[in-house]
Amino acid sequence: MKAITDQWVRGYRLGAIPLLLFFSACSQWTASFIDVRSNAETMVMGAYSATPELNQRAVQDPSQKICSLMPDESLTQDQMTFVTDAAKHSVSYPNSGHLTGDWKKGAELVADGTGQRIVNGQIEKLARNGALCNNCHQIDPKEVNAGNLGPSLVGYAKLRGRSETVIRYTYEKIYNAWAFLPCSNMPRLGANHFLTPEQIADVVAYLTDPQSPVNAP
Amino acid sequence: MLISLFFRCRLLNKQKQAGFLAMVLMLFLSLASGLAQSLETPQDGLAIGRQLLAEDNPGDLWTERGKRLFHSNRGPKNKSLETCDLGLGPGITKGAFAQLPRYFNDTKSVQDLESRLLTCMVEIQGFARAELISRRFGTLDQDSDIEALVAFIGSDSNNLPMNIGLSHPLERVMYETGKILFYRRSGPLDFACMTCHGETGKRVRLQDLPNMTKKEEIQQAVTTGWPAYRGTHSTVRTMQHRLSDCNWQMRLPDLNYASDLSVAITTFLNYSANGGLIKLPGVRR
Ligand code: HEC
Ligand code: HEC
Repeated sequence: MKAITDQWVRGYRLGAIPLLLFFSACSQWTASFIDVRSNAETMVMGAYSATPELNQRAVQDPSQKICSLMPDESLTQDQMTFVTDAAKHSVSYPNSGHLTGDWKKGAELVADGTGQRIVNGQIEKLARNGALCNNCHQIDPKEVNAGNLGPSLVGYAKLRGRSETVIRYTYEKIYNAWAFLPCSNMPRLGANHFLTPEQIADVVAYLTDPQSPVNAP
Repeated sequence: MLISLFFRCRLLNKQKQAGFLAMVLMLFLSLASGLAQSLETPQDGLAIGRQLLAEDNPGDLWTERGKRLFHSNRGPKNKSLETCDLGLGPGITKGAFAQLPRYFNDTKSVQDLESRLLTCMVEIQGFARAELISRRFGTLDQDSDIEALVAFIGSDSNNLPMNIGLSHPLERVMYETGKILFYRRSGPLDFACMTCHGETGKRVRLQDLPNMTKKEEIQQAVTTGWPAYRGTHSTVRTMQHRLSDCNWQMRLPDLNYASDLSVAITTFLNYSANGGLIKLPGVRR
Protein backbone atom coordinates (compact mmCIF):
# COMPACT_ATOMS: atom_id res chain seq x y z
CA MET A 1 0.00 0.00 0.00
CA LYS A 2 2.82 2.35 1.00
CA ALA A 3 4.60 1.72 -2.27
CA ILE A 4 1.50 2.56 -4.22
CA THR A 5 1.09 5.81 -2.31
CA ASP A 6 4.68 6.79 -2.95
CA GLN A 7 4.32 5.99 -6.58
CA TRP A 8 1.20 8.04 -6.73
CA VAL A 9 2.82 11.03 -5.08
CA ARG A 10 5.91 10.74 -7.22
CA GLY A 11 3.70 10.54 -10.29
CA TYR A 12 2.32 13.91 -9.37
CA ARG A 13 5.73 15.43 -8.69
CA LEU A 14 7.11 14.26 -11.98
CA GLY A 15 4.18 15.89 -13.67
CA ALA A 16 4.59 19.09 -11.73
CA ILE A 17 8.31 19.66 -12.22
CA PRO A 18 8.28 20.40 -15.94
CA LEU A 19 5.26 22.56 -15.33
CA LEU A 20 7.07 24.52 -12.63
CA LEU A 21 10.20 24.90 -14.74
CA PHE A 22 8.06 26.04 -17.56
CA PHE A 23 6.38 28.56 -15.26
CA SER A 24 9.52 30.03 -13.81
CA ALA A 25 11.59 30.12 -16.97
CA CYS A 26 9.34 32.41 -18.89
CA SER A 27 6.38 33.14 -16.67
CA GLN A 28 5.83 36.65 -17.95
CA TRP A 29 4.41 35.65 -21.26
CA THR A 30 3.58 31.97 -20.93
CA ALA A 31 1.11 32.47 -18.10
CA SER A 32 -1.55 33.56 -20.49
CA PHE A 33 -1.19 30.28 -22.42
CA ILE A 34 -1.49 28.01 -19.40
CA ASP A 35 -4.54 25.81 -19.61
CA VAL A 36 -6.07 26.69 -16.26
CA ARG A 37 -8.41 23.74 -16.38
CA SER A 38 -5.63 21.16 -16.50
CA ASN A 39 -3.71 23.30 -14.02
CA ALA A 40 -6.67 22.88 -11.66
CA GLU A 41 -6.58 19.10 -12.11
CA THR A 42 -2.83 19.03 -11.38
CA MET A 43 -3.49 20.96 -8.18
CA VAL A 44 -6.22 18.54 -7.13
CA MET A 45 -3.76 15.67 -7.59
CA GLY A 46 -1.28 17.43 -5.32
CA ALA A 47 -3.76 18.51 -2.66
CA TYR A 48 -4.22 15.15 -0.97
CA SER A 49 -1.78 12.54 0.35
CA ALA A 50 -4.16 9.78 1.40
CA THR A 51 -4.33 6.26 -0.04
CA PRO A 52 -5.01 6.00 -3.78
CA GLU A 53 -8.47 4.73 -2.91
CA LEU A 54 -9.31 7.83 -0.87
CA ASN A 55 -7.58 10.18 -3.28
CA GLN A 56 -9.85 8.76 -5.95
CA ARG A 57 -12.73 10.64 -4.32
CA ALA A 58 -11.37 13.90 -5.70
CA VAL A 59 -11.39 12.56 -9.27
CA GLN A 60 -14.51 13.56 -11.16
CA ASP A 61 -16.86 11.18 -12.94
CA PRO A 62 -18.21 12.36 -16.32
CA SER A 63 -21.42 13.74 -14.81
CA GLN A 64 -19.59 15.68 -12.10
CA LYS A 65 -17.39 17.15 -14.80
CA ILE A 66 -20.41 18.32 -16.76
CA CYS A 67 -22.10 19.63 -13.61
CA SER A 68 -19.17 21.87 -12.63
CA LEU A 69 -20.64 24.80 -14.51
CA MET A 70 -18.97 28.18 -14.30
CA PRO A 71 -21.19 31.22 -13.70
CA ASP A 72 -21.39 32.16 -17.36
CA GLU A 73 -22.18 28.61 -18.52
CA SER A 74 -25.39 26.65 -18.78
CA LEU A 75 -26.10 23.01 -19.66
CA THR A 76 -26.46 22.16 -23.33
CA GLN A 77 -29.27 19.84 -24.38
CA ASP A 78 -26.74 17.03 -24.97
CA GLN A 79 -25.20 17.44 -21.56
CA MET A 80 -28.59 17.43 -19.92
CA THR A 81 -29.50 14.23 -21.71
CA PHE A 82 -26.18 12.61 -20.82
CA VAL A 83 -26.45 13.37 -17.10
CA THR A 84 -30.13 12.40 -16.88
CA ASP A 85 -29.64 9.13 -18.78
CA ALA A 86 -26.58 8.16 -16.72
CA ALA A 87 -28.59 8.88 -13.57
CA LYS A 88 -31.61 6.85 -14.72
CA HIS A 89 -29.38 3.89 -15.58
CA SER A 90 -27.62 4.04 -12.22
CA VAL A 91 -30.70 3.25 -10.15
CA SER A 92 -30.90 -0.20 -8.57
CA TYR A 93 -33.56 -1.51 -6.22
CA PRO A 94 -33.67 -3.54 -2.99
CA ASN A 95 -33.50 -7.33 -3.46
CA SER A 96 -36.84 -7.63 -1.68
CA GLY A 97 -38.45 -5.60 -4.45
CA HIS A 98 -40.07 -3.34 -1.83
CA LEU A 99 -39.37 0.35 -2.25
CA THR A 100 -40.59 1.18 1.25
CA GLY A 101 -39.01 -0.20 4.41
CA ASP A 102 -39.11 0.68 8.11
CA TRP A 103 -40.01 4.32 8.69
CA LYS A 104 -38.50 4.30 12.20
CA LYS A 105 -35.11 3.28 10.84
CA GLY A 106 -35.66 5.93 8.20
CA ALA A 107 -36.24 8.55 10.90
CA GLU A 108 -32.85 7.80 12.44
CA LEU A 109 -31.10 7.95 9.09
CA VAL A 110 -32.72 11.25 8.09
CA ALA A 111 -31.59 13.00 11.28
CA ASP A 112 -28.05 11.65 11.07
CA GLY A 113 -25.68 14.07 9.32
CA THR A 114 -22.48 12.07 9.65
CA GLY A 115 -20.60 9.45 7.69
CA GLN A 116 -17.66 9.18 5.28
CA ARG A 117 -15.77 12.22 6.55
CA ILE A 118 -12.03 11.70 6.71
CA VAL A 119 -9.67 12.70 9.51
CA ASN A 120 -5.99 11.74 9.36
CA GLY A 121 -6.72 9.31 6.58
CA GLN A 122 -9.37 7.49 8.61
CA ILE A 123 -12.99 7.33 7.46
CA GLU A 124 -15.56 7.98 10.17
CA LYS A 125 -18.31 5.36 10.56
CA LEU A 126 -17.71 2.48 8.20
CA ALA A 127 -20.72 0.49 9.36
CA ARG A 128 -23.48 2.87 8.37
CA ASN A 129 -23.68 6.42 7.07
CA GLY A 130 -26.32 8.89 8.07
CA ALA A 131 -28.64 9.93 5.23
CA LEU A 132 -27.86 13.66 5.77
CA CYS A 133 -31.39 14.74 4.76
CA ASN A 134 -31.82 17.15 7.70
CA ASN A 135 -28.61 18.92 6.76
CA CYS A 136 -30.54 20.35 3.84
CA HIS A 137 -34.28 19.68 4.35
CA GLN A 138 -36.92 20.42 6.95
CA ILE A 139 -38.83 17.11 7.08
CA ASP A 140 -40.29 16.52 10.55
CA PRO A 141 -42.15 19.77 11.34
CA LYS A 142 -40.83 19.55 14.92
CA GLU A 143 -37.15 19.20 13.98
CA VAL A 144 -35.36 22.43 14.96
CA ASN A 145 -31.95 21.48 13.61
CA ALA A 146 -32.75 21.37 9.90
CA GLY A 147 -31.09 23.18 7.00
CA ASN A 148 -32.69 24.85 3.98
CA LEU A 149 -30.41 24.05 1.05
CA GLY A 150 -33.24 21.91 -0.26
CA PRO A 151 -37.02 22.52 -0.16
CA SER A 152 -39.14 21.64 2.89
CA LEU A 153 -40.54 18.11 2.76
CA VAL A 154 -42.97 18.59 5.66
CA GLY A 155 -46.26 16.79 5.00
CA TYR A 156 -44.65 14.94 2.08
CA ALA A 157 -47.31 12.28 1.53
CA LYS A 158 -50.17 14.45 2.70
CA LEU A 159 -49.43 16.70 -0.25
CA ARG A 160 -48.58 14.06 -2.85
CA GLY A 161 -50.37 10.92 -1.69
CA ARG A 162 -48.58 7.60 -1.58
CA SER A 163 -49.40 6.04 -4.93
CA GLU A 164 -47.04 3.60 -6.64
CA THR A 165 -45.84 6.50 -8.81
CA VAL A 166 -45.05 8.75 -5.85
CA ILE A 167 -43.18 5.95 -4.03
CA ARG A 168 -41.14 5.09 -7.12
CA TYR A 169 -40.34 8.74 -7.80
CA THR A 170 -39.27 9.28 -4.18
CA TYR A 171 -37.06 6.20 -4.20
CA GLU A 172 -35.40 7.10 -7.48
CA LYS A 173 -35.05 10.77 -6.53
CA ILE A 174 -33.09 9.83 -3.41
CA TYR A 175 -31.12 7.16 -5.26
CA ASN A 176 -30.08 9.61 -7.93
CA ALA A 177 -31.45 13.14 -7.75
CA TRP A 178 -29.97 13.99 -11.15
CA ALA A 179 -32.36 11.58 -12.90
CA PHE A 180 -35.00 14.28 -12.51
CA LEU A 181 -32.99 17.48 -12.29
CA PRO A 182 -29.53 17.15 -13.86
CA CYS A 183 -26.73 18.75 -11.81
CA SER A 184 -28.97 19.79 -8.92
CA ASN A 185 -27.35 20.50 -5.56
CA MET A 186 -28.76 17.30 -4.09
CA PRO A 187 -26.13 14.52 -3.88
CA ARG A 188 -26.68 11.23 -5.75
CA LEU A 189 -26.86 9.31 -2.51
CA GLY A 190 -27.59 5.82 -3.87
CA ALA A 191 -25.53 6.00 -7.04
CA ASN A 192 -22.51 7.22 -5.06
CA HIS A 193 -22.91 4.27 -2.64
CA PHE A 194 -23.47 6.62 0.25
CA LEU A 195 -26.73 4.80 1.08
CA THR A 196 -27.79 1.22 0.33
CA PRO A 197 -31.06 0.47 -1.51
CA GLU A 198 -32.49 -0.86 1.77
CA GLN A 199 -31.62 2.36 3.62
CA ILE A 200 -33.24 4.41 0.87
CA ALA A 201 -36.38 2.28 1.19
CA ASP A 202 -36.41 3.07 4.94
CA VAL A 203 -36.17 6.79 4.17
CA VAL A 204 -38.96 6.49 1.58
CA ALA A 205 -41.12 4.88 4.27
CA TYR A 206 -40.31 7.75 6.62
CA LEU A 207 -41.45 10.28 3.99
CA THR A 208 -44.60 8.44 2.97
CA ASP A 209 -45.90 6.38 5.91
CA PRO A 210 -49.10 7.82 7.44
CA GLN A 211 -47.70 6.99 10.92
CA SER A 212 -44.53 9.02 10.33
CA PRO A 213 -44.31 12.43 12.05
CA VAL A 214 -43.64 13.89 8.59
CA ASN A 215 -47.30 13.33 7.76
CA ALA A 216 -48.73 14.15 11.19
CA PRO A 217 -52.13 15.80 10.89
CA MET B 1 -21.28 19.97 33.44
CA LEU B 2 -20.71 23.60 34.35
CA ILE B 3 -18.59 22.53 37.30
CA SER B 4 -16.38 20.39 35.14
CA LEU B 5 -16.06 23.24 32.67
CA PHE B 6 -15.03 25.53 35.49
CA PHE B 7 -12.56 22.98 36.74
CA ARG B 8 -10.99 22.70 33.30
CA CYS B 9 -10.80 26.49 33.19
CA ARG B 10 -8.71 26.55 36.32
CA LEU B 11 -6.20 24.23 34.78
CA LEU B 12 -5.66 26.42 31.77
CA ASN B 13 -3.42 29.41 31.43
CA LYS B 14 -4.82 32.89 31.19
CA GLN B 15 -5.10 33.04 27.45
CA LYS B 16 -6.95 29.75 27.28
CA GLN B 17 -9.15 30.78 30.16
CA ALA B 18 -10.45 33.76 28.26
CA GLY B 19 -10.92 31.48 25.31
CA PHE B 20 -12.79 28.98 27.37
CA LEU B 21 -15.15 31.53 28.82
CA ALA B 22 -15.77 32.79 25.34
CA MET B 23 -16.51 29.25 24.23
CA VAL B 24 -19.12 28.89 26.95
CA LEU B 25 -20.58 32.22 25.88
CA MET B 26 -20.60 31.11 22.25
CA LEU B 27 -22.25 27.81 23.13
CA PHE B 28 -24.89 29.72 25.00
CA LEU B 29 -25.33 32.12 22.13
CA SER B 30 -25.55 29.39 19.54
CA LEU B 31 -28.31 27.80 21.62
CA ALA B 32 -29.98 31.18 21.74
CA SER B 33 -29.55 31.51 18.01
CA GLY B 34 -31.08 28.06 17.54
CA LEU B 35 -34.11 29.24 19.48
CA ALA B 36 -34.22 32.46 17.57
CA GLN B 37 -34.12 30.53 14.32
CA SER B 38 -36.93 28.25 15.36
CA LEU B 39 -38.93 31.44 15.78
CA GLU B 40 -38.23 32.29 12.14
CA THR B 41 -35.69 35.02 12.75
CA PRO B 42 -32.53 33.42 11.43
CA GLN B 43 -29.17 35.07 12.06
CA ASP B 44 -30.32 37.37 14.85
CA GLY B 45 -28.91 35.28 17.69
CA LEU B 46 -25.63 34.84 15.89
CA ALA B 47 -25.38 38.53 15.00
CA ILE B 48 -25.84 39.51 18.64
CA GLY B 49 -23.25 36.95 19.66
CA ARG B 50 -20.75 38.25 17.16
CA GLN B 51 -21.28 41.81 18.28
CA LEU B 52 -20.87 40.97 21.95
CA LEU B 53 -17.65 39.13 21.26
CA ALA B 54 -16.34 41.72 18.83
CA GLU B 55 -16.36 44.24 21.66
CA ASP B 56 -14.04 42.02 23.66
CA ASN B 57 -12.41 39.80 21.08
CA PRO B 58 -10.47 36.92 22.67
CA GLY B 59 -8.51 36.73 19.40
CA ASP B 60 -6.62 39.86 20.54
CA LEU B 61 -4.65 37.63 22.90
CA TRP B 62 -3.41 35.65 19.91
CA THR B 63 -2.55 38.89 18.13
CA GLU B 64 -0.40 39.95 21.08
CA ARG B 65 1.36 36.62 21.25
CA GLY B 66 1.89 36.62 17.49
CA LYS B 67 3.51 40.04 17.67
CA ARG B 68 5.93 38.82 20.35
CA LEU B 69 6.69 35.69 18.35
CA PHE B 70 7.35 37.70 15.21
CA HIS B 71 9.92 39.93 16.89
CA SER B 72 11.73 37.41 19.11
CA ASN B 73 14.73 35.33 18.18
CA ARG B 74 13.56 31.76 17.80
CA GLY B 75 14.26 28.44 16.13
CA PRO B 76 17.54 26.56 15.55
CA LYS B 77 19.03 29.68 13.96
CA ASN B 78 17.81 31.92 16.79
CA LYS B 79 16.51 34.62 14.44
CA SER B 80 13.42 36.76 14.52
CA LEU B 81 11.09 37.13 11.53
CA GLU B 82 12.17 40.76 11.08
CA THR B 83 13.84 39.85 7.80
CA CYS B 84 10.82 37.93 6.56
CA ASP B 85 9.47 39.51 3.37
CA LEU B 86 5.69 39.21 3.28
CA GLY B 87 5.55 41.11 0.02
CA LEU B 88 6.19 44.69 1.09
CA GLY B 89 9.82 44.29 2.13
CA PRO B 90 11.72 42.63 4.99
CA GLY B 91 9.87 42.73 8.31
CA ILE B 92 6.99 44.88 7.04
CA THR B 93 3.75 43.51 8.41
CA LYS B 94 1.57 46.59 8.08
CA GLY B 95 -0.63 46.17 5.03
CA ALA B 96 0.95 42.86 4.04
CA PHE B 97 -2.17 40.78 4.53
CA ALA B 98 -4.21 43.11 2.30
CA GLN B 99 -2.11 42.04 -0.69
CA LEU B 100 -1.82 38.32 -0.08
CA PRO B 101 -1.68 35.86 -1.80
CA ARG B 102 0.96 37.28 -4.14
CA TYR B 103 3.90 36.18 -6.26
CA PHE B 104 7.31 35.89 -4.57
CA ASN B 105 10.45 36.00 -6.61
CA ASP B 106 12.58 33.90 -4.26
CA THR B 107 10.22 30.92 -4.27
CA LYS B 108 8.99 31.58 -7.81
CA SER B 109 5.46 30.92 -6.66
CA VAL B 110 2.27 32.54 -5.49
CA GLN B 111 1.95 32.20 -1.71
CA ASP B 112 -0.73 32.95 0.82
CA LEU B 113 0.14 34.23 4.28
CA GLU B 114 0.50 30.76 5.71
CA SER B 115 2.66 29.22 3.00
CA ARG B 116 4.83 32.35 3.12
CA LEU B 117 5.22 32.05 6.89
CA LEU B 118 6.33 28.45 6.41
CA THR B 119 8.98 29.64 3.97
CA CYS B 120 10.25 32.30 6.39
CA MET B 121 10.23 30.07 9.45
CA VAL B 122 12.14 27.36 7.58
CA GLU B 123 14.61 29.59 5.70
CA ILE B 124 15.23 32.26 8.33
CA GLN B 125 14.65 30.52 11.64
CA GLY B 126 15.67 27.01 10.62
CA PHE B 127 12.53 25.25 11.79
CA ALA B 128 11.75 21.91 10.14
CA ARG B 129 8.86 22.24 7.74
CA ALA B 130 7.25 18.96 8.76
CA GLU B 131 7.42 19.98 12.42
CA LEU B 132 5.74 23.32 11.69
CA ILE B 133 3.06 21.58 9.68
CA SER B 134 2.38 19.05 12.41
CA ARG B 135 1.71 21.96 14.79
CA ARG B 136 -0.17 24.15 12.31
CA PHE B 137 -3.51 23.88 14.14
CA GLY B 138 -3.47 24.40 17.90
CA THR B 139 -5.08 21.95 20.31
CA LEU B 140 -6.10 22.41 23.93
CA ASP B 141 -2.74 20.93 24.91
CA GLN B 142 -0.52 22.68 22.42
CA ASP B 143 -0.68 26.21 21.00
CA SER B 144 0.08 26.85 17.36
CA ASP B 145 2.63 29.57 16.68
CA ILE B 146 1.29 29.91 13.15
CA GLU B 147 -2.22 30.70 14.39
CA ALA B 148 -0.82 33.49 16.58
CA LEU B 149 1.44 34.86 13.82
CA VAL B 150 -1.45 34.87 11.35
CA ALA B 151 -3.66 36.70 13.87
CA PHE B 152 -0.95 39.35 14.31
CA ILE B 153 -0.14 39.80 10.64
CA GLY B 154 -3.80 39.76 9.63
CA SER B 155 -4.69 42.41 12.20
CA ASP B 156 -1.80 44.59 11.07
CA SER B 157 -3.85 45.35 7.96
CA ASN B 158 -6.86 46.47 9.96
CA ASN B 159 -8.85 49.34 8.46
CA LEU B 160 -7.15 48.89 5.09
CA PRO B 161 -9.13 47.63 2.10
CA MET B 162 -8.33 44.20 0.67
CA ASN B 163 -6.28 44.99 -2.39
CA ILE B 164 -5.08 42.04 -4.45
CA GLY B 165 -3.54 43.29 -7.66
CA LEU B 166 -3.09 40.16 -9.79
CA SER B 167 -0.36 42.15 -11.51
CA HIS B 168 1.93 39.15 -11.96
CA PRO B 169 0.74 36.69 -14.63
CA LEU B 170 1.06 33.76 -12.22
CA GLU B 171 -1.21 35.55 -9.76
CA ARG B 172 -3.82 35.71 -12.46
CA VAL B 173 -3.31 32.02 -13.22
CA MET B 174 -3.83 31.25 -9.52
CA TYR B 175 -7.00 33.34 -9.49
CA GLU B 176 -8.42 31.70 -12.62
CA THR B 177 -7.52 28.23 -11.33
CA GLY B 178 -9.05 28.99 -7.94
CA LYS B 179 -12.22 30.07 -9.64
CA ILE B 180 -12.46 26.79 -11.53
CA LEU B 181 -11.84 24.89 -8.30
CA PHE B 182 -14.62 26.81 -6.58
CA TYR B 183 -17.11 25.40 -9.08
CA ARG B 184 -15.56 21.94 -9.36
CA ARG B 185 -17.77 19.13 -8.10
CA SER B 186 -16.34 15.86 -6.81
CA GLY B 187 -16.48 13.36 -3.99
CA PRO B 188 -19.18 11.01 -2.72
CA LEU B 189 -21.57 13.93 -2.17
CA ASP B 190 -20.98 15.72 -5.49
CA PHE B 191 -20.12 18.93 -3.65
CA ALA B 192 -18.36 22.02 -4.95
CA CYS B 193 -17.77 25.13 -2.83
CA MET B 194 -20.56 26.54 -4.96
CA THR B 195 -23.05 23.97 -3.65
CA CYS B 196 -23.02 25.54 -0.20
CA HIS B 197 -21.83 29.06 -0.97
CA GLY B 198 -23.75 29.96 -4.12
CA GLU B 199 -27.04 31.32 -2.81
CA THR B 200 -28.00 33.87 -0.17
CA GLY B 201 -29.98 32.83 2.91
CA LYS B 202 -29.05 29.15 2.84
CA ARG B 203 -28.13 27.03 5.84
CA VAL B 204 -26.62 23.63 6.49
CA ARG B 205 -28.52 22.67 9.65
CA LEU B 206 -28.43 25.98 11.57
CA GLN B 207 -25.19 27.27 10.12
CA ASP B 208 -25.55 30.26 7.86
CA LEU B 209 -23.71 29.88 4.58
CA PRO B 210 -22.25 33.04 3.10
CA ASN B 211 -22.97 33.43 -0.61
CA MET B 212 -19.49 33.89 -2.00
CA THR B 213 -20.72 34.93 -5.41
CA LYS B 214 -21.97 38.17 -3.83
CA LYS B 215 -19.48 40.93 -3.14
CA GLU B 216 -20.72 42.03 0.30
CA GLU B 217 -21.00 38.50 1.60
CA ILE B 218 -17.59 37.36 0.44
CA GLN B 219 -16.07 40.56 1.83
CA GLN B 220 -17.58 39.72 5.21
CA ALA B 221 -16.28 36.16 5.00
CA VAL B 222 -12.75 37.17 4.03
CA THR B 223 -11.94 40.62 5.37
CA THR B 224 -13.77 40.31 8.70
CA GLY B 225 -13.41 36.55 8.81
CA TRP B 226 -10.21 34.59 8.81
CA PRO B 227 -8.02 34.46 10.93
CA ALA B 228 -10.97 34.17 13.32
CA TYR B 229 -11.35 33.36 16.96
CA ARG B 230 -13.53 30.23 16.83
CA GLY B 231 -15.64 29.89 19.97
CA THR B 232 -16.26 26.19 19.49
CA HIS B 233 -12.50 25.57 19.12
CA SER B 234 -11.32 28.05 21.81
CA THR B 235 -8.56 29.24 19.53
CA VAL B 236 -7.82 31.38 16.52
CA ARG B 237 -8.22 29.47 13.27
CA THR B 238 -6.78 30.47 9.91
CA MET B 239 -8.12 30.42 6.35
CA GLN B 240 -6.19 27.20 5.69
CA HIS B 241 -8.06 25.68 8.61
CA ARG B 242 -11.41 26.97 7.35
CA LEU B 243 -10.73 25.42 3.94
CA SER B 244 -9.73 22.11 5.55
CA ASP B 245 -12.96 22.18 7.50
CA CYS B 246 -15.11 22.71 4.40
CA ASN B 247 -13.05 20.11 2.54
CA TRP B 248 -13.81 17.67 5.38
CA GLN B 249 -17.52 18.37 5.06
CA MET B 250 -17.15 17.62 1.35
CA ARG B 251 -15.87 14.14 2.32
CA LEU B 252 -12.55 14.67 0.56
CA PRO B 253 -9.28 13.36 2.05
CA ASP B 254 -7.34 15.60 4.46
CA LEU B 255 -6.32 18.73 2.56
CA ASN B 256 -2.53 19.18 2.48
CA TYR B 257 -1.54 22.29 4.42
CA ALA B 258 -0.50 25.16 2.15
CA SER B 259 -1.19 23.07 -0.96
CA ASP B 260 -1.33 24.88 -4.30
CA LEU B 261 -5.04 24.14 -4.40
CA SER B 262 -5.65 25.95 -1.11
CA VAL B 263 -3.56 28.92 -2.24
CA ALA B 264 -5.43 29.08 -5.55
CA ILE B 265 -8.81 29.09 -3.82
CA THR B 266 -7.59 31.71 -1.35
CA THR B 267 -6.41 33.87 -4.24
CA PHE B 268 -9.85 33.60 -5.79
CA LEU B 269 -11.64 34.39 -2.51
CA ASN B 270 -9.38 37.28 -1.48
CA TYR B 271 -9.41 38.92 -4.90
CA SER B 272 -13.20 38.63 -4.97
CA ALA B 273 -13.26 40.41 -1.59
CA ASN B 274 -11.20 43.36 -2.86
CA GLY B 275 -12.31 46.66 -1.40
CA GLY B 276 -13.63 45.12 1.81
CA LEU B 277 -12.24 46.78 4.94
CA ILE B 278 -10.07 44.41 6.94
CA LYS B 279 -11.06 43.83 10.59
CA LEU B 280 -9.18 40.87 11.99
CA PRO B 281 -9.12 38.53 13.74
CA GLY B 282 -12.79 37.75 13.11
CA VAL B 283 -15.03 36.01 15.60
CA ARG B 284 -16.84 32.90 14.56
CA ARG B 285 -18.90 30.08 15.92
C1 HEC C 1 -26.69 18.75 0.16
C2 HEC C 1 -28.08 19.01 0.17
C3 HEC C 1 -29.11 17.90 0.15
C4 HEC C 1 -29.14 16.71 0.82
C5 HEC C 1 -28.09 16.13 1.78
C6 HEC C 1 -30.39 16.09 0.48
N1 HEC C 1 -31.08 16.88 -0.40
FE1 HEC C 1 -32.92 16.51 -1.18
N2 HEC C 1 -32.80 18.20 -2.31
C7 HEC C 1 -31.78 19.11 -2.25
C8 HEC C 1 -32.03 20.16 -3.20
C9 HEC C 1 -31.13 21.37 -3.45
C10 HEC C 1 -33.25 19.84 -3.85
C11 HEC C 1 -33.95 20.63 -4.96
C12 HEC C 1 -33.32 20.29 -6.29
C13 HEC C 1 -33.68 18.92 -6.75
O1 HEC C 1 -34.87 18.61 -6.88
O2 HEC C 1 -32.76 18.12 -6.96
C14 HEC C 1 -33.69 18.59 -3.26
C15 HEC C 1 -34.86 17.93 -3.63
C16 HEC C 1 -35.37 16.82 -2.97
C17 HEC C 1 -36.62 16.16 -3.28
C18 HEC C 1 -37.57 16.57 -4.38
C19 HEC C 1 -38.66 17.41 -3.80
C20 HEC C 1 -39.86 17.50 -4.73
O3 HEC C 1 -40.63 18.43 -4.54
O4 HEC C 1 -40.02 16.65 -5.58
C21 HEC C 1 -36.76 15.13 -2.42
C22 HEC C 1 -37.94 14.15 -2.33
C23 HEC C 1 -35.60 15.12 -1.57
N3 HEC C 1 -34.77 16.16 -1.94
C24 HEC C 1 -35.39 14.23 -0.55
C25 HEC C 1 -34.19 14.09 0.13
C26 HEC C 1 -33.92 13.07 1.12
C27 HEC C 1 -34.94 12.05 1.59
C28 HEC C 1 -32.63 13.21 1.50
C29 HEC C 1 -31.80 12.33 2.41
C30 HEC C 1 -31.81 10.94 2.13
C31 HEC C 1 -32.10 14.38 0.80
N4 HEC C 1 -33.08 14.88 -0.01
C32 HEC C 1 -30.81 14.87 0.98
C33 HEC C 1 -30.68 19.07 -1.43
C34 HEC C 1 -30.33 18.00 -0.62
C1 HEC D 1 -21.33 21.01 2.68
C2 HEC D 1 -21.32 22.42 2.75
C3 HEC D 1 -20.08 23.21 2.43
C4 HEC D 1 -19.25 23.13 1.35
C5 HEC D 1 -19.36 22.18 0.17
C6 HEC D 1 -18.26 24.16 1.52
N1 HEC D 1 -18.49 24.85 2.66
FE1 HEC D 1 -17.54 26.54 3.29
N2 HEC D 1 -18.71 26.62 4.93
C7 HEC D 1 -19.67 25.68 5.26
C8 HEC D 1 -20.15 25.94 6.60
C9 HEC D 1 -21.21 25.15 7.33
C10 HEC D 1 -19.45 27.08 7.05
C11 HEC D 1 -19.55 27.75 8.42
C12 HEC D 1 -20.66 28.72 8.49
C13 HEC D 1 -20.88 29.16 9.93
O1 HEC D 1 -20.10 28.81 10.79
O2 HEC D 1 -21.85 29.86 10.15
C14 HEC D 1 -18.56 27.48 5.97
C15 HEC D 1 -17.72 28.59 6.03
C16 HEC D 1 -16.85 28.95 5.03
C17 HEC D 1 -16.01 30.13 5.05
C18 HEC D 1 -15.98 31.18 6.15
C19 HEC D 1 -17.12 32.12 6.04
C20 HEC D 1 -17.21 33.07 7.21
O3 HEC D 1 -17.78 34.17 7.05
O4 HEC D 1 -16.73 32.75 8.27
C21 HEC D 1 -15.28 30.12 3.90
C22 HEC D 1 -14.26 31.17 3.48
C23 HEC D 1 -15.67 28.94 3.16
N3 HEC D 1 -16.63 28.26 3.86
C24 HEC D 1 -15.14 28.59 1.94
C25 HEC D 1 -15.45 27.40 1.28
C26 HEC D 1 -14.76 26.94 0.09
C27 HEC D 1 -13.68 27.69 -0.61
C28 HEC D 1 -15.30 25.73 -0.24
C29 HEC D 1 -14.87 24.76 -1.28
C30 HEC D 1 -13.53 24.34 -1.30
C31 HEC D 1 -16.37 25.47 0.71
N4 HEC D 1 -16.41 26.49 1.62
C32 HEC D 1 -17.22 24.38 0.64
C33 HEC D 1 -20.15 24.68 4.46
C34 HEC D 1 -19.58 24.29 3.26
